[in-house]
Amino acid sequence: MAIVAQESRLSRVLWPILAWTIAIIFFFPIFWLVFTSFKTDADAVKPEHLIFFTPTLENYINMTENYDYWRFAINSVITSVFATLFALIVGVPCAYAMAFNPTRATKDILMWMLSTKMLPAAAVLYPMTFLTKNFLGIYDTHFLVIVVLCLINLPIVIWMLFTYFKEIPKEIIEAGKMDGVSTWGEIKDILIPLAWGGVASTALLCFIFCWNEAYWTVRLTTTEAATLSKLIEGNRAPEGLFFGRLSAVSAAAVGPIVVLGWFCQKQLVQGLTFGAVK
Amino acid sequence: MSDRTLPRLLQTPAVLLLLVWMLVPLGMTLFFSFIRYVLNSLRRPEWTSPSIDNWRGFGNYQFVWNNDGFWLAIYNSVFIVTSIVVFTVIFGLAIAILVNRSFPGRGIVRVLLISPFFVMPAVNAVLWINMILDPVLGLQGIAVAGLNEMIDGLRDFPVLGGFFSLWPELSPISFRATQTSAYAVIIMVTWQWTPFAVLIFMTSLQSEDQQQKEAAILDGAGKWSMFRNLTLPHLGRPIAIVVMIQAIFHLSLYAEIEIVSRGNGNKNLPYLIGEFATNNIGAASAAGIFAVILANVIAIFLLRMVGKTLMD
Repeated sequence: MAIVAQESRLSRVLWPILAWTIAIIFFFPIFWLVFTSFKTDADAVKPEHLIFFTPTLENYINMTENYDYWRFAINSVITSVFATLFALIVGVPCAYAMAFNPTRATKDILMWMLSTKMLPAAAVLYPMTFLTKNFLGIYDTHFLVIVVLCLINLPIVIWMLFTYFKEIPKEIIEAGKMDGVSTWGEIKDILIPLAWGGVASTALLCFIFCWNEAYWTVRLTTTEAATLSKLIEGNRAPEGLFFGRLSAVSAAAVGPIVVLGWFCQKQLVQGLTFGAVK
Repeated sequence: MSDRTLPRLLQTPAVLLLLVWMLVPLGMTLFFSFIRYVLNSLRRPEWTSPSIDNWRGFGNYQFVWNNDGFWLAIYNSVFIVTSIVVFTVIFGLAIAILVNRSFPGRGIVRVLLISPFFVMPAVNAVLWINMILDPVLGLQGIAVAGLNEMIDGLRDFPVLGGFFSLWPELSPISFRATQTSAYAVIIMVTWQWTPFAVLIFMTSLQSEDQQQKEAAILDGAGKWSMFRNLTLPHLGRPIAIVVMIQAIFHLSLYAEIEIVSRGNGNKNLPYLIGEFATNNIGAASAAGIFAVILANVIAIFLLRMVGKTLMD
């Protein structure tokens, strides 16, 4: 209370203005991307049409024709959804066991899982290409992208689920055990309903990370399983000929994810700091 | 008995998967780093298949170590990572403190602020290098041209014109050039990751002990001394975590480097490894092992820090 009383009237007016200004500056590039996407390619590079122009949906309508957008978008959806699903299928039982039946090794296993996340991808680039191309023959398939996305996000998924499950009183789970509920029943009927919010935000965050991944999806695909990251990376238009259409396809690639992100910003902290910042 | 077996069984798939994912490719990299292995060689076709007969010992490591490009890549990696980390922490702190109080529309401000973090790296790079930083067609080019025109107009003024004619013609910066392409990467990644720092600092600020602060006010503590002696120590841990997580992420920056200038002037270690990997797999693998060592030095500190809070 004392803090509020001390504040001068001036700072009570200036503070929000400053905060709003900074927020708008940070959001501006995204706004500009969407704004440019409504210009024709010709208008997009004319200074006289910087702000005033006749908006058009042409770039969005021609997105399929220009970039084959939907093929890449569908690949992104398929790979991200299945990678998230598999990460949960493998991660939930693991986090369940760790949270409710911890052993002396649990902490070390968790730390080790996290350390796999810190392995620089570039270091294993060639072995991965070699294995998938020459050995397993799964290079540029949805299966490969799903497996890789699942594995690079699995440590974060397990960590997040673990921190959520840990909050649930052990007694509830044990009561279930007394009543003779099977382990599967415990997970399905007691744990998941109780930790529903945590599981959902873990899934959401995992999905976002999969969608935005830009190393393996670019290096391990060519055409069949190429995702939106690959599409944008391949169409960087160095001479600015296609600013309009490039903006449209970029906006379509990031729009849904930015909106999804708004819903899980709180959980993001926990997911990214492995529960170390609360 | 079943009390112990089942939990272990439930963990097995995850542990096995991650074990294979880590050990197999890394083991191969380690092996390749000790042999002569190139993809194309007309002179020495026997080197084109990975065989133990082509054993080279530490030769690949020596080759990479003595390669000027390697040290430049290390320098660029470290320069880019440190700059991003310093900027994001400073901006992140300032903005978190700014937003950490109630004012009209705070929810919307938060949403606007966090948005850049969800933009995919490829779009981030395309957007900044083309639409914003381009010296002719981007906003930078347009702004510089506009300023020049304005100054030109002012030169025709009586009296004051003399003053303005002393001003030089401004020239826009080309951010794809060797000297500047690293800055472009730093700008765009800082934009994307400052929200991450803001979010974490804000979360941490909310758990700050308010009673302690009020007690300090009663004792007549000033704002600055309160920030230095109470808030900053409270933020010590989050700052350390933001620094380390970013270090690990940004050491493997790739898409931004590729899109801005294809490694011209900002080639970092992952990019160099990618270039080696187009032919000289032995060298790429040795450089990869160096990258693993570099990342591990940071990872050890991070893991210790995270490990401390794990079980409480």
